[in-house]
Amino acid sequence: MVRLTINGRVVQASEGEMLLSVIRRENIDVPAMCHHEAVEPFGACRLCVVEITRQEWDGWCDYVTSCLYPVADGLIVNTHAPKVNELRKTILDLFLARHPKCTEIIELAGEYGVTRTRYETVVDGDNCILCGLCARICDRMGFHAISTVGRGHGKEIAPPLRQAPPDCTGCLSCAMNCPTNFIEYKVKKGLLTIWDKKFELLTCNKCGKETITREFAVHLSEQRNIPPNYFDTCDACHRNELAAAMGRIAAWDREVQL
Amino acid sequence: MNHRFIVTPNLCTGCRTCELACSFTHAVDNVRGQTRIFPLDGGSKDLWIPVVCLQCDDAACVKSCLVDALRRNPGTGAIELNQEVCVKCMACVAACPFGCSLLDQQHNIVVKCDLCGGDPACAHFCPTKALQWLPIAPARARAAS
Amino acid sequence: MRLENIRQLKDLQKKYQAAEKRFQKKVLVCCGPGCLASGAQKISDQFKKVLKEKRIQGFSVEALKETGCHGFCEQGPLVIIEPEGTFYTKVKTKDVEEIIEKSVRHDETVTRLLYSPNGNGKKIKRYADIDFYRHQTRIALARLGKINQCDIKDYVADGGYQSLAKAITKMSGDEIIDEITKSGLRGRGGAGFSAGRKWATCKKIQSDIRYVICNGDEGDPGAFMDRAIMEGDPHAVLEGLAIAAYAVGSSRGYIYVREEYPLAVVNLQKAIEQAEQLGLLGDNILGSDFSFKISISRGAGAFVCGESSALMKSVAGEVGEPRAKYIRSVVKGLHDQPTVLNNVETLATVPVILDKGADWFCKTGTKKNTGTKAFSLVGKIRNTGLIEVAMGTTLRQIIYDIGGGIIDDRPFKAVQTGGPSGGCLPDSQLDLSVDFDSLTEAGSMMGSGGMIVMDDKTCMVDVAKYFLGFLVDESCGKCVPCREGLYQLHALTVKVSEGRATEADLEKMEKLSEMVIIGSLCGLGKSGPNPLLSTLRYFRDEYLAHIRDKRCPAGVCRELITYEINEKCTGCMACIAVCATHAITGKKGEIHILDQDKCTKCGACYAVCRYDAIDVS
Repeated sequence: MVRLTINGRVVQASEGEMLLSVIRRENIDVPAMCHHEAVEPFGACRLCVVEITRQEWDGWCDYVTSCLYPVADGLIVNTHAPKVNELRKTILDLFLARHPKCTEIIELAGEYGVTRTRYETVVDGDNCILCGLCARICDRMGFHAISTVGRGHGKEIAPPLRQAPPDCTGCLSCAMNCPTNFIEYKVKKGLLTIWDKKFELLTCNKCGKETITREFAVHLSEQRNIPPNYFDTCDACHRNELAAAMGRIAAWDREVQL
Repeated sequence: MNHRFIVTPNLCTGCRTCELACSFTHAVDNVRGQTRIFPLDGGSKDLWIPVVCLQCDDAACVKSCLVDALRRNPGTGAIELNQEVCVKCMACVAACPFGCSLLDQQHNIVVKCDLCGGDPACAHFCPTKALQWLPIAPARARAAS
Repeated sequence: MRLENIRQLKDLQKKYQAAEKRFQKKVLVCCGPGCLASGAQKISDQFKKVLKEKRIQGFSVEALKETGCHGFCEQGPLVIIEPEGTFYTKVKTKDVEEIIEKSVRHDETVTRLLYSPNGNGKKIKRYADIDFYRHQTRIALARLGKINQCDIKDYVADGGYQSLAKAITKMSGDEIIDEITKSGLRGRGGAGFSAGRKWATCKKIQSDIRYVICNGDEGDPGAFMDRAIMEGDPHAVLEGLAIAAYAVGSSRGYIYVREEYPLAVVNLQKAIEQAEQLGLLGDNILGSDFSFKISISRGAGAFVCGESSALMKSVAGEVGEPRAKYIRSVVKGLHDQPTVLNNVETLATVPVILDKGADWFCKTGTKKNTGTKAFSLVGKIRNTGLIEVAMGTTLRQIIYDIGGGIIDDRPFKAVQTGGPSGGCLPDSQLDLSVDFDSLTEAGSMMGSGGMIVMDDKTCMVDVAKYFLGFLVDESCGKCVPCREGLYQLHALTVKVSEGRATEADLEKMEKLSEMVIIGSLCGLGKSGPNPLLSTLRYFRDEYLAHIRDKRCPAGVCRELITYEINEKCTGCMACIAVCATHAITGKKGEIHILDQDKCTKCGACYAVCRYDAIDVS
């Protein structure tokens, strides 16, 4: 166990934990747009930056991204120091210049008092803030279907060769976790389209509800030993089946153990 | 797991208090959450069966999770879903043969029964004791009797 | 043949030395990048051809050496005749026969090919007497230009691999680390971290696997020191890397070479094969328990891959993006194992330190900055080339004594050191001692050693714009302050250079720079605003001239200048020929006329005019 001070409060944390998790546990609001517990911390958006110092540093302090900074005994953290706030404002301002139409950015920037960008607006700025969460989650899922392409200001997220990604199973994890809801997908007539690839959606053999894609189900059966017939029915119909089965037992026994 | 849900269907009046209890217990930002327990039609008239996660030993939901968001709590025996880790791929929802992993459409999160940390609110609030959360030994004894 | 012990290595050295002594003369043809570009390969081939035709007593083709960069690229192709040290400059293939007749067969000189400092003044025969060489102290580059580019025979004859042999047979890892620490050797890649301390930290970490990597991803515009060493003296790099590996207890090494250096890859690969054949690399080196294997890892042309964590990702086959180094790469580096990463020049210096001792090394340089540093001297300087000077040499000595001053004796304006992460220093800083600490304090940095000299025709806003543009392209794009911040800084400098900026924009630039520095993830972003900040610090007037007077004092920024033809025009029609938009008209022998409406201010006319007849205002 280590003891550190966050905004004047002494808190405990376990060795190896990152500052951001401790800060969040203490219910202190620190923004972060590229962070997700499912993947390794990345440090791309820099919004979770905090000021750190130590008694022995004699007033000298450093600015670190809390998502990546391991806790340490005697650390003194200020999550809203003036420089930190200024940096967050600058980052949001830069985001606002690049993604002028992004509602999530506009909202967060507003919270920090940034309503108009001081910088040159990027004319064709889309809503992708290049946090890389989609690609990192895709890697974590084991698909590696998309990645960042290029570098610098022209970097983007794309499948290999910008063609329909062969390894994508249409699990939608990328789209579900995009902090700015930028990744588009379409569901139409039993077909899911994402990254220019079409997937057949499985339908419940009882009620006809659409569930996951066939590719994803095949992947789960083959890689995770889930019997394929589990995917024939939707969750609601599964529950009804269970209730009916239990009802049959209850008909000749007076109680049911769950 | 040393406790089990014991359901006595002929005591159940279908009042759905269990559902409400679950929903309030799992409120998100003070908004009622999705219930994890479903009193459902057991096939014949007035036969209600509360369907809730069985916390399977070799659980399909755990196997299907590609990011290890589902883990068994060794204290309660419940398979808990870590919302922070979940990437909402719906694999567990599709894989659970009992439909006990499900999407909370209101909050756009996946939810499942976590046994309320060891004292399930549904059983706690059941007015007719149709749903009970009992230690496993008496449960066996009851089953034997 | 495999060498089984240190004695066999000594015998081999003697054998090779004896072989060298058979020849009374040696002809060294510089085949460094500069000379190759000006046709050195043809000259070497011509030498071979002519020597084959003429049999010369006491000389054979073996005594003709294609060496690495000799340094004085400005005067290339260079041919040096040893043992006299006769220095022939700007040699052409038609000169070869004469050189052989006069200097190889006899002891005469071809006077017209000798170097003359002022163009047509006094001729200097020996290179050691030339100012360019006289003021240098060579340690890392000592062998460059003296031995065959990749021939282990020459390297061993010159005492090569003796330090490795000494290390393996007579020293423990800790003793080596102590010696390197005592020598005060600081990383030549730019940051200047103590090499000995880095090794010691790596050694202390509990791990079965450790890696050593040589950073040959020299990406700074205008820098070519590491390239010259990797191409011209690859064995020195291998020996240094092997010593580092032995010291920290590693058995696996990588040399990361940037994509743009294909010859370095070829030469290093040859060198590795030669060393493995002799048992100087590979399993059980010199019959000891120490085994060490080196592989070459080729970059893909990204500047950011010179950054340690990005480089290690690239070596591992991942996308070269830096990670935050709150846990340093010496603790958790390549494949998450402790990893020592050193620059080419640092590693090439290591064998010399072990050979001659830390005390000897400390005698050169200053107290906290021992030894020497190689620089590539480029820009508006008379003697472009590769140099190595003792630490603590002043900028003035480098630029005027070695570099010979500014081309056409124009006024000196600034010198840019440290590449895109460095800064521009004005004439008031000319007496600054060139070492890690002084340069950083002055707002620039040592960097890997590029030194770009600028005269009064260089616009500092344009320079800042250039470097920021370079970094916008080369930023990996991972973190926001670097990706978006540098982009906006670049946009602001463009605004200044086009005369659209206000004084408030300067403040905005300074504020944003500060945020980029504290907010960025890796060194690229953290030092990215340096070229802007240093020019703002030393050349604020020039920024203000662009803003207030809408004027570019150096006559560079296109939007703010006009070209005019003055009465000096002789009507030679050279400008008419190059003008792409046909803005210049006129007849031969008459003063030409420039149509401002058609002029795109490309500056082509200005560049070709030999009569100073184009005014820029």
